[in-house]
Amino acid sequence: MTNNTEFKVGLFIIITALLILASIGYVAYKKDVFSKTYVYTLSSTTGENITEGTPVVFWGFNIGQVSSMELTDSGVLVQIKIPERNNRVIRAGSRFVLEKPLLSSSRIIVYTDNLNGLPLQESAVPELTVSDDINELIKRGQSIAEKLDMITNNIASITGDMSDPQGDVKRILKNADKVTALLAEKNSLGEMLMGNDESVRSIEEIIKIALDIAERTEEITGRLEALTQEAGEQLYGGEGILTLVREILDELTVKLAKVEITLDNLNKTSAETVDATEDLSLLREDVDETVSAIRNLVDDLDRMIPFKAESEIKLP
Amino acid sequence: MIKTIESIGRSSINIFVTLRATLLLAAGIILRLFSRRAYNSASRMVFINQFYFTSVQILPLFLFVAVIFGTMVNGMAFQVIKNLGLTDYLGRLLMGFVVTEIAPFVTVLLIALRSGSAINAEIAVMKVNRELNTLKIFNIDVIDYLFVPRVMTGMLSMVLLSSLFSMTVLVTGIFISSAIFGTSVDDYTGILLKSASLPDIVIVLIKCATFGFFITLIPIIRGLNASEEELTSIPVAVLNGMVRVFIAIVIIEVLSSIIRFI
Repeated sequence: MTNNTEFKVGLFIIITALLILASIGYVAYKKDVFSKTYVYTLSSTTGENITEGTPVVFWGFNIGQVSSMELTDSGVLVQIKIPERNNRVIRAGSRFVLEKPLLSSSRIIVYTDNLNGLPLQESAVPELTVSDDINELIKRGQSIAEKLDMITNNIASITGDMSDPQGDVKRILKNADKVTALLAEKNSLGEMLMGNDESVRSIEEIIKIALDIAERTEEITGRLEALTQEAGEQLYGGEGILTLVREILDELTVKLAKVEITLDNLNKTSAETVDATEDLSLLREDVDETVSAIRNLVDDLDRMIPFKAESEIKLP
Repeated sequence: MIKTIESIGRSSINIFVTLRATLLLAAGIILRLFSRRAYNSASRMVFINQFYFTSVQILPLFLFVAVIFGTMVNGMAFQVIKNLGLTDYLGRLLMGFVVTEIAPFVTVLLIALRSGSAINAEIAVMKVNRELNTLKIFNIDVIDYLFVPRVMTGMLSMVLLSSLFSMTVLVTGIFISSAIFGTSVDDYTGILLKSASLPDIVIVLIKCATFGFFITLIPIIRGLNASEEELTSIPVAVLNGMVRVFIAIVIIEVLSSIIRFI
């Protein structure tokens, strides 16, 4: 029983002790406790944000840590320990930068351009520069804040303008409202394009007059045809009614020609406004038809009353 | 008024006397731990039997508890870490919480409940039966024969069992992390190694040894305080001893945390 107990106790102690020793040894090996370490000294103007154990990082990997710090007359001497297996990245041209991230602890970043360069001598004292990320971030933040401030001011101005009954936005909206209302009114297109309603009214009056004249002329023509046979001499005389009518029509033709020029200009001015162009084209067509009708009427009159070629009218 | 002052004075003197006796006994045991005379054949037999009772007999239960506890703690911790997106802190959680805090605490509770109470009762019974007086009559040093092997057992058992508990929980963690995170064994060990700190491991081992020292010393002292005339003093001694053991565990835990974090 005793031997059995002793064996069990001995076995348990040996196995457990070996397991513990193996675990600690493995951790120690992985932590480079048994490997040779190189100690380098860096000079810094400040010991702020540097503590014993601050990691030394190369390409994102921890390759060592700060082992001690010493305050001297010229600044702070920072000693870093680099295990032998990581020592190949520490070259004579290596630069050491203390990085102070905003949200995590500081670390020393190693920059080595030429990994095949000469190794850094342990007696050398390279400088440890400080990358002041916080201040850079603050500077960047300030410029962003200024831009944001401008944007905010602009938004405030726009919203203020929008809320102001006399503001630009309201005015634009009112004008747009007016324009749409005017556009909705077909009669006002000409007025919009010409700038004043007097011109439009005059055009409308002219057209009305022309239409009235045309109607009256047709009536007169009908009467003339009826009277031609009865009183040809009276009608076709130099002082006759038809001569008078012809003069009136000539005058009307001249006026309509002027209207035509005005309408051409209007058409050019309203080239960008499709609806207006269409309306003006329609108006133009109406005027053209009227002019054409009058011309036809004049031609008919000329044909029926050859004032220029023949001085005498042959009576039927 | 005078009675109150007398009562306070009496209590203070009792505490002082008890503390002095405890410290003297503790100092005597510590000195004997480094004395070769304490490691004779009789003491060795007591040590082996006590160690067998404390560590080897409990082993199946202890490993079962470790596996269950490890699975539960790892599962919960990993799930929480995954949900919170704090996977970077997995190593710190396992090494800083499970290994350095949970493992010693569970181990010391198991050993105190099983062996501490047994030692307390054994010493109290020996005191009531006047076996201790008999040993003194035969010129047998009770410290060498009874106390040093038990304290030594307590310290060694705590260190070994706590380490075993930690290793069991960490090995369990391999399967849990593989199931939850899909990490490989190499990644898992890499995470643990990154967070492992040799000074922390040394502090944990010292803490375990301190736990072992006090969870055996306090029951011994309380057992010695049992009355020689009354058998009923035995359970009272065990009760007092276990309460003081629990208080000692809490105090050591707090002190170790202070040492680690300050």
